[in-house]
Amino acid sequence: MRAILIDDEISNLENLRTLLEKHCPQVTIIAVAQNVSDAVDAIEKYLPDLVFLDIQMGEQTGFEVLKQLPKRNFEVVFVTAYDQYGIQAVKFAALDYLLKPIDIEELVDAVHKAKHKLAAQMQTSQLDFLLQQLKKPEANVSKIALQMQSEIRYVTLSEIIRCEADNTYTHFFLEDNEKILVSKSLKEYADLLRPKGFLRTHQSHLVNPKYVKSWLKEDGGILLLLSGEKIPISKPNKHSVKQALQQL
Amino acid sequence: MKEIIFIFLSFMMTLSTVNAQKGINFSRNYAAGGKLLMSVDSSAKNVFYVNMFPNQPRTSFNYLPEVNKVSININFRKDINIQHYRYTILEDNKPIVVNKSINIAELKELNRGDEELFRSTTLGTFPIKGKMITTLIYSIEKPLDIDKSVFYGKPIPKAKIQGFSKRFATDKGVDYSWITDLKERINLTLTNKDEELTIVKDRSDIDYLYHTSIKDKQTNKIIFESTSWEYGGLVVENEFLPYVEIDKNVFKKSGDYEIIIQPSIKWTGCLDCDISPKEIEKYITRHTLSITLEEENYTRKELLIYTLIVALFIGLVFLGILYFSKKRNKRMLAEKEQQRNRAKLQLTSIRSQLNPHFLFNALSGIQNLMNKNEIDNANKYLAKFARLTRNVLDDKELISLSQEKTLLDDYLQMEQLRFGFNYEINYSENLDLDNIEIPSMLLQPFVENAVKHGLSKKGNDGKITITLIKQSNDLVLTVTDNGNGFDTENKSNGLGLPLTEARIALLNSVYKENRFTLAMQSSTNGTKISLTLTDWL
Repeated sequence: MRAILIDDEISNLENLRTLLEKHCPQVTIIAVAQNVSDAVDAIEKYLPDLVFLDIQMGEQTGFEVLKQLPKRNFEVVFVTAYDQYGIQAVKFAALDYLLKPIDIEELVDAVHKAKHKLAAQMQTSQLDFLLQQLKKPEANVSKIALQMQSEIRYVTLSEIIRCEADNTYTHFFLEDNEKILVSKSLKEYADLLRPKGFLRTHQSHLVNPKYVKSWLKEDGGILLLLSGEKIPISKPNKHSVKQALQQL
Repeated sequence: MKEIIFIFLSFMMTLSTVNAQKGINFSRNYAAGGKLLMSVDSSAKNVFYVNMFPNQPRTSFNYLPEVNKVSININFRKDINIQHYRYTILEDNKPIVVNKSINIAELKELNRGDEELFRSTTLGTFPIKGKMITTLIYSIEKPLDIDKSVFYGKPIPKAKIQGFSKRFATDKGVDYSWITDLKERINLTLTNKDEELTIVKDRSDIDYLYHTSIKDKQTNKIIFESTSWEYGGLVVENEFLPYVEIDKNVFKKSGDYEIIIQPSIKWTGCLDCDISPKEIEKYITRHTLSITLEEENYTRKELLIYTLIVALFIGLVFLGILYFSKKRNKRMLAEKEQQRNRAKLQLTSIRSQLNPHFLFNALSGIQNLMNKNEIDNANKYLAKFARLTRNVLDDKELISLSQEKTLLDDYLQMEQLRFGFNYEINYSENLDLDNIEIPSMLLQPFVENAVKHGLSKKGNDGKITITLIKQSNDLVLTVTDNGNGFDTENKSNGLGLPLTEARIALLNSVYKENRFTLAMQSSTNGTKISLTLTDWL
């Protein structure tokens, strides 16, 4: 895979180069760039397979690079030291990211996934989705990208009835009775969706309050959904769930 | 008049042998008032002759307590028309001779030794013991100018006070209240309404003799004297009784006063008088008046009570004010303390916000050193990183200038790992870096701004200069960079500035005595920030 590294700090570029050369021999670094315009030029010139893109670059962001490219025929791995908002958007788009200092396993894993996606040729729509989401204020984000085995599904949040953990996987139960299995833990989605009003009733359950029918007192508390499903409420979550439901 | 009497006196000495009679020593003459001379028993002593009284210019009183017989002579100057004179003699107020003319034939010419000749005759010799002989002599040319001489052969009676009365105001005018039960000591209360005190004496033929005085027993001063009597008010046996009026204001204070009524006899200064004070005392009437001025008494007691009440009230008010002001002060202090604590807390939360972006990038820089096998450098920077984060986590309010300098060194060297630039830290030589303390992490945000906005794009040409300067009592800290500058008005630009301004405001509210002032100058050639800590040194 031919890769371009984009970071405003030389030491970061050096570091990433060192790590890639050592742990990801399948990656060839064809160029590096330290600012947005150099990056756009380099990508247009070298047409890389993979771009390691620093989100925070001085006073600009790596997203600028993506916006300025009409065609994005490459995989992107975002790299950031600390960037709450940017990372959130990246997560909603189910894109890959690395945190500095770089964890070698995460790096290897990201390169691996990128290779897989390149083979499946399904990356570009995610970047479009990301750029769309970035245009809106954070509160208006209403869709989430779900990475499935062989496709990306963009799901409206109001469509999601509930999520259920299955080890490191998560089942999404949608309004039209569709069930989606995503290879990410429920915890990650709980972090993303709780700010959107989803209720963590149980360590294995995340529920969209829109689909709650009633609170059953049997077995110390159970949520009855409109679909007729019964979702357990664990003791530590009882209070917060009750409060959240009362506010609706 | 006295002068004339004495002239007569010396003249009569020579006459005395001529009219020698049994018992009476005619060789010795006493003036007896007016044109009269008298001779008394040779054995008699204490002849108090010619006592005169105010308002009684033609009355002479001769007190003869020890005399049995008195011979009275009348003497005329030569140029006086003797035929015009008439005389009346009364014995105990009953006339024995009335308006009789002088028997010219009996007149004898007397040569008193100088050029003037006197003509003299006797009016008679009278037994006087236990009696009072009164002579009235006048000229028909001036019948109202009656010379009256009293020859008093009885003991002068002691004045007797019949009663005291208080005059007081009423709705209709005035009224009197009487005290007639008289003892040695008389208690008398004078109220606001009382106006004057009246002393009523018994009636006698010789009221004019009596002199009234009042003595303040505390000071022994005479505060009132009266030599005359008024008549009216009380009537006894169809006669008005004599009285004196004493204004209430004579008595200035409560206390004992002595009322003394005595005959105005010149007990001393006469010829042959020899009378002891004890004898004299027999003629004197004394009463002690114990006066209570109710007004004063009232005032005194009430004043004390009122004073106490007022003092108590003032005291209470004062205490109240004290209490409330103390309470308010306490509350204000507490509020201030709270405010200060709040400010400190906020300061802490702001201080600990060492940019996480920097932290992780710094770690990333160290990772790079490791991956490049620059183990020594990696160790060095890791240590710097640890020191830096420790400073943030320690969360000390104040650190010494040298510590701050170390912190900035660490920080800038970590940043140098990311971006190539030069920096220097200069300080005044007279600045005691080890002992002067400043709020920790004070300059770091400015330095971070300099790195971020000023230099990150300039690479190796970038330069940051930090100075720590002593300016009299102020500590002036400056951070200068040669970057591209930024709009100082646009405060939303970047994380550092609004945070820093909030921090300056908080510092000003915590360190009220020292003003923190921030000055920023920015141009395309660079930015200079100076922070002045007034009166810090």
